[in-house]
Amino acid sequence: MKQLRKVNPALVLLLVLLATMVCMSPLYQTAPGFMSFLQRAAPLVILTCGASFVLIAGGFDLSSGALITLVVIGCALITNGDASMTWTAVAAVYGMGLAVGLLNGLIVTQLKVPSIIATLGGLLSIKGLAMVWSGGAPSGYLPQNLRYLGRGVLRDVPITGTLPIAVIVLVGFVALYYWLMHRTNFGRLVLMIGDNPVAAELAGAPVRRVRVAAFVLSSLSAVTAGILLGGFSGVSVDVGTGYDLQAIAAAVIGGVVLLGGRGSIPGACIGALTLYTLFTVLNLLGFSEPLRVAVQGLILIGAAALTAWRHQRR
Amino acid sequence: MRAIRKVFGAVTVLREVSLQCRAGQVHAICGENGAGKSTLMKVLGGIHAPDGGEIRIDGQAVRFGHPSEARRAGIAIIHQELALLPHRTVAQNIFLGHEPARWGVIDTQAMNAGAEAALRRVGCRIDPRTECGRLSVAEQQMVEIAKAVSLDARILVLDEPTAALDDVESQKLFDLIAELRRAGVAMLYISHRMAEVMALADDISVIKDGQLMATLPAAEATVDRIVRLMVGRELSDFYPPAAAQPPGAEVLAVEQGGNDRLHGIDLRLHAGEIVGVAGLEASGKVELARALYGERRFTRGTVRAWDGKGAARSPREAAQRGIGYLPDDRKREGLGLQQSLRDNAALTLRALAGPFAGAASAQRSRSRIDALLNKVEVRAADFEMPVGALSGGNQQKVMVARWMAREPRLWVVCEPTRGIDVGAKATIYRLLRDYADAGGAVLVVSSDVAEIIGLCDRICVMALGRIVAHLPRGSSEEAVIAQAVRHDVAEEVPA
Amino acid sequence: MSAQPHFARRHLIPITLVAISACVYVGTAIATGQHAQLTLAGVMGLVQRMVALGLVALGQNFVILAGSIDLSVANLISVSAVLASYFMQGDTGAIGYAVVGVLGVAAAVGVVNGLLVARLGVSPLIATLGVGLVLQGVLTVAFTSLQGQVPKAYQALAYGSVAGVPIAVLVLAAVAVAAALALTRTVAGAHLFAVGGNADSARLAGIRTSRVTIGAHAVAGLMSGLAGLYLASWLGAGTPWVGRDGGYDLDSIAAVVIGGTLLAGGRGSIAGTMAGVFVFATIDAVFNMLQIDAFLSQVLRGLIVVMAVGVYTFRNKGHVA
Repeated sequence: MKQLRKVNPALVLLLVLLATMVCMSPLYQTAPGFMSFLQRAAPLVILTCGASFVLIAGGFDLSSGALITLVVIGCALITNGDASMTWTAVAAVYGMGLAVGLLNGLIVTQLKVPSIIATLGGLLSIKGLAMVWSGGAPSGYLPQNLRYLGRGVLRDVPITGTLPIAVIVLVGFVALYYWLMHRTNFGRLVLMIGDNPVAAELAGAPVRRVRVAAFVLSSLSAVTAGILLGGFSGVSVDVGTGYDLQAIAAAVIGGVVLLGGRGSIPGACIGALTLYTLFTVLNLLGFSEPLRVAVQGLILIGAAALTAWRHQRR
Repeated sequence: MRAIRKVFGAVTVLREVSLQCRAGQVHAICGENGAGKSTLMKVLGGIHAPDGGEIRIDGQAVRFGHPSEARRAGIAIIHQELALLPHRTVAQNIFLGHEPARWGVIDTQAMNAGAEAALRRVGCRIDPRTECGRLSVAEQQMVEIAKAVSLDARILVLDEPTAALDDVESQKLFDLIAELRRAGVAMLYISHRMAEVMALADDISVIKDGQLMATLPAAEATVDRIVRLMVGRELSDFYPPAAAQPPGAEVLAVEQGGNDRLHGIDLRLHAGEIVGVAGLEASGKVELARALYGERRFTRGTVRAWDGKGAARSPREAAQRGIGYLPDDRKREGLGLQQSLRDNAALTLRALAGPFAGAASAQRSRSRIDALLNKVEVRAADFEMPVGALSGGNQQKVMVARWMAREPRLWVVCEPTRGIDVGAKATIYRLLRDYADAGGAVLVVSSDVAEIIGLCDRICVMALGRIVAHLPRGSSEEAVIAQAVRHDVAEEVPA
Repeated sequence: MSAQPHFARRHLIPITLVAISACVYVGTAIATGQHAQLTLAGVMGLVQRMVALGLVALGQNFVILAGSIDLSVANLISVSAVLASYFMQGDTGAIGYAVVGVLGVAAAVGVVNGLLVARLGVSPLIATLGVGLVLQGVLTVAFTSLQGQVPKAYQALAYGSVAGVPIAVLVLAAVAVAAALALTRTVAGAHLFAVGGNADSARLAGIRTSRVTIGAHAVAGLMSGLAGLYLASWLGAGTPWVGRDGGYDLDSIAAVVIGGTLLAGGRGSIAGTMAGVFVFATIDAVFNMLQIDAFLSQVLRGLIVVMAVGVYTFRNKGHVA
């Protein structure tokens, strides 16, 4: 019975939603169909893992959506359709992501600007930067090999039949972030710092460095998500809009406490998959995109209220 | 003269506590830290609802759901923790919640005038238009008192009101109490200070571990009797024996150390000894601990540590060099309440090791942490449970385990047994003694004088930011407190 | 024993801000030869830029003083603007009802925010973000059936003027003065400062903290409604993106913080907030005069806002989330 209580409630929700989705649409009843579902969900899962580091450390990162837009636009501009420039572009956008993460982290830890304001400002600036760079009208397309990462699929794979590259990237990425959060001192410190930063500091922890690192991890996950997204979406100004809030909602569903100090990478993944499945189901039911946004808002409030209620009980 | 009778009975924190107070009388309440005095007053003030028992005012039973209801019933509390709004003026703070107004608009003149009148009654001459954030601690205390006075309460609770006041200001408070007595106000006076209690009280109740031990009329009360009721146990076999050997090498020397709160600190700490620092509130003892640990540094004087370097400049540096620190407020500054026992105990190891080190040696460090947790005798079903679910005593043991893992040369310990049960206290004393005997140097800062006397090899007494006396082990409580209440130390003019 | 400092000392920050901004504005105008900006009409144009943000910032000031925050303002402004044009449908007679209706809806949304924060204990960031998202989603979907436009007469609000002063500016001034009086002279205002300064002390003093919080959020909602009404008048019709495009969420918070209000609550002034809004208006005008690319100015804006807030916060001790 005790084991049962340890199960993440979101997992139950996820299974229910998956079952619904599979029943509703014949597409997802086949292995390749399901794999393409995972392929599409990959960017959100990756972004949620990154956002979780910042959330668990006690902050918010609202600039990740704009960073995704910048990545897609940037890749289009750097490669200019030329496939040989792909890896240059990838290196460049990871560099940009690193810079953004460092900047966010330094502003929050050194200038003591609350992360909400700092990353909201970052959102504005990064979006503006993307527009300036693309001359106001983002266009162009990404070269084939770059898009391959996002939409490419390996055929004739045993068991599942197909295996999208994005899923491989997803698994690798989640494994890395899992290791960072759950198997290193750094990850354990992130949890403690989110729970009680004063205690962590008094015990000798390098609180500021850890928090900057959390922001960097969040930005790098945004870059990765952006590269994958570029595979099956066009180059536009709205590519990344709203992803940051989706990641936060997903993390909260998966058990990340918004005040910090509690959460896990598996939880984040479950939360992201749950949210994405929910969106898919809503889509199948005929809900338009703006309505999905409204549902997301309700989920955010609901999850936060649930957490607050549980806190009060204690 | 109307009789006011109050009967409480509550679980866990307060067990069937009853007391009565009559109009125009002062009823003192004494007890150790954590005995339940403040909780009792919070029930009276409508902040907590009692789980059993009742409150009667003028013979009528009352129930308070919100502090505003208690206020309306004529109860005012002067809390121990100063809770003024720093950005508002004195007048605004005094009249918070009962501003003089017409149609919702505040009558500022009346408010300022009323504030001045209240301040005058308390014997204070601050301009009511000053921002409270600019006042000294003593002035803030006077404002808190004025605040309660302005409410024209019939029942006034004073929780350690003289903690921040000097002799002159305290005398003004006593005059006020005499005046309130004549006006027929019933007063409940919580205090550690026996002199005041003996001088003011008509009745004295002693609370220990949530239970009322006795209510003594003033005529029958002596300090000895009160203290014995408060402590109620044989001190001798509660504290560990003295140091096995004489003190070893010098670990830290501070010469004329000072900062904005400390002056002229001369201190030498040696391996193998437990040095105690005693003092009343605002004596600077906590600031001393913080300065040694690098959290609020010394700005004057010199510090020489065993490794040849000077004072630590940050908690991280202190920890890296081998200085440990047990903060006085374990919930706010010590524990991540949602994290497991193991994670809390392993915090110092993790904080100071490299970021990726956890991976390979996870198993080894886990067994080491578990061994430590067992050594400190933590009572918990499972070491993975969140530490917030443990009792205070067990939480403190986790903190001790955390620092023992680092084996610091110098261990600065603040309020090691605040708010924990007797059994845990004895365990922690034994752990500290064993640690010193094994070669560590321990500095214990505590408000519990009995603890300092029982545990430490020698005692430094602080007052007003200075060390005013060095006393040997075995000194009496009176001797220590006599030094702690000194006001004749010269104020050093900052250079 | 210090007496309360003079008006000038108390309002040092806003006065400095206004002075510096004014200098920069005047200097830029002279340097780029755009003397027209320095005439009364030009200055009024500058002040007019302040109206929408000014109204929202006033509301945000109330909420931040109470120790909370409101991130739903941008979407609420859009809702108000759309509803305004929908209720009016070009009919001059409907103006009155429309105004009342819009303000009612806006205040109601504010109350919902307040209830989530005060009764359910949800973090204000998440509560208002969530409500904003719900508003955004519902509005976008419902917009096709909420088409309308405002009557010409109503546009006088945005474009008309009395004795050379735009009506909108007069409205802003009136609201600002009313807000300042409410904060400094009324019991409700005193309680607001108390709840933001130290909610526990306020509760111990007998103040009903939930009511104060809900009230503050209701005011913020009301102000967003007013801003929406103004924008509807200016644009001729409301659209679902007018709030988000204006960046009102970040800007209103930044204006309040730059004006000297503590993010944690408990201290701040209307004068300070208005000065903060003036700074923003000046930045926009200066960027305009220098003909800086619209997107580049967005980049600079984001950086300036964060740095400006940083100037205030970097002196804070302790850890910030």
